Amino acid sequence: MIRFENVSKVYARGARPALNGMSAEIERGEFVFLVGASGSGKSTCLRLALREERPTQGKVFVAGRDLSTLSSWKVPSLRRQIGVVFQDFRLLQNKTVFENVAFALQVTGKPRHMIAVTVPEVLETVGLQGKEKRRPHELSGGEQQRVAIARAFVNRPSILLADEPTGNLDPNTSLGIMNLLSRINATGTTVVMATHDSGFVNQMRQRVIELSNGVVLRDQKDGVYGAGVPMPDDDALREPSGHLAERPWSPPVEVRPVPALESPAHAQGVTGTVRVQPSSQGEW
Amino acid sequence: MRAQFILAEIGSGLRRNLAMTISVILVTFVSLTFVGASALLQLQIGKLKDDWYDRVEVSVFLCPIDSPNPTCAGGEASPEQVEALETLFASELGDEVETVYFESKEDAFASFEERFPDGYNGTQLTVDDMQSSFRLKLTNPENYEVVNDVVTGRPGVEAVEDQRRIFDSLFLALNRASLMSGGLAVVMMLAAVLLITTTIRLSAMSRQRETEIMKLVGASKLFIQLPFILEGAIAAVVGAFLAVGGLWLGVKYLVTDWLQSSVSWIAYISEADVLRIAPLLLLIAFFLAAISSVVTLSRYTRV
Repeated sequence: MIRFENVSKVYARGARPALNGMSAEIERGEFVFLVGASGSGKSTCLRLALREERPTQGKVFVAGRDLSTLSSWKVPSLRRQIGVVFQDFRLLQNKTVFENVAFALQVTGKPRHMIAVTVPEVLETVGLQGKEKRRPHELSGGEQQRVAIARAFVNRPSILLADEPTGNLDPNTSLGIMNLLSRINATGTTVVMATHDSGFVNQMRQRVIELSNGVVLRDQKDGVYGAGVPMPDDDALREPSGHLAERPWSPPVEVRPVPALESPAHAQGVTGTVRVQPSSQGEW
Repeated sequence: MRAQFILAEIGSGLRRNLAMTISVILVTFVSLTFVGASALLQLQIGKLKDDWYDRVEVSVFLCPIDSPNPTCAGGEASPEQVEALETLFASELGDEVETVYFESKEDAFASFEERFPDGYNGTQLTVDDMQSSFRLKLTNPENYEVVNDVVTGRPGVEAVEDQRRIFDSLFLALNRASLMSGGLAVVMMLAAVLLITTTIRLSAMSRQRETEIMKLVGASKLFIQLPFILEGAIAAVVGAFLAVGGLWLGVKYLVTDWLQSSVSWIAYISEADVLRIAPLLLLIAFFLAAISSVVTLSRYTRV
């Protein structure tokens, strides 16, 4: 679905490259965490996949298209297959929840009757029914992010890119957002999430691609966040609120110990050679 | 859906930048008024030429009874000399001269009396104070020099006069006014382009977030840019309509109602002529706006 082939990206001449010969492949229907320190190249990966940037070297393939040869007038049709969510939500403050979501359909020329049907549907999916007429400033951060996700998902994209979607949210709210992303993933949408939120990465046991200085440091199925070091805020994240019941995955009641350094899985992981194929998304 | 959405975007854009929108309207209004005035002056010149050049003729004045002119040393032009000139117009100048009309001094006196029944400046003139003349209508009025060369100095000819000369200075004045108006129009249009560019840039900046989201959800470049382009274009076209209205009123009150009634023997431009140049003004306005939009947007809303 998304393939990076030896991609390098240098933003300014002479500057340190944001990506430096990075390669990775993400299959259809996967849920992938993109982790790494700030400046490791996570956001650049997402921008390249959206073709907001072009690689300095190497090739990026998204949904079967070679983005290096994609002509600029075909970029909109590429982006209609990709939903994007950001840390800062990027909602239009002067529009209501409904209008914010409808905006994505309006500007791509969808007919009005379709908007009238689709928007309430997707708002229900993200759990915002009854708040259609609110404006973003009347919503909590978590609700705003749900609006943003609804907007990203309303076109039923085959790929959802999330750039630190829980970065501005408290742990419990983040849990709801993660839950929502999981459910979107379960419908067959490929989800790529750049994050610093070690707790969820460790809990969800999805594929983890760790970037460091523009290269893939580790590409691990069922991976964890750091190199086996539990993050200090892990505990806070694992005190789930009342949302427990609707979670698609089973959160551990007890804190699951992070695999020790000697564990085979991790030892394999750090070599950065593991290529993981999707396991459970047979229908896609 | 698309049209409605784009219209709503345009409306909000125009309202948000109301002051700028108004200034765009005013600047295009003034600049296009100058363009229109220049065009109307040209039309007026054309009208006068059509009207007068059809009527004006080359006059060949024949020697009166006592003329100081050396070619008239033999006294009044004799019937033989008149006949010789008639032959000349028919033969040598046959290609240049379309019609010949001989006005005898009696005819001249008759028309003089008709115009000044109480005498001219208190003097009562007689038939002998008049002079006979030939009125020549040329196939091509531009060929006056040919006729002049052939006829001047012939026996019995006192003077050859091209009536068009009378109008030359008037046309020169009108032409200069038209040029001046055109020059001002160019300056004002430059101001209009710069102002439209600035307006669109402001509008694009104030809607940066919308534009950014539009790009991310895959709106086409045209869809993103169209509201901005149309915003500029609408403001400019409104300015053009104002210019047309202003010129229409100007022509109505200044030319039709005032000049026409005070100096009635001239063919004037009319309100219909304003409507004739209206499409031109509207087109200019639209292209001014469209070109400045495209230039600005290629920089500010790149996909």
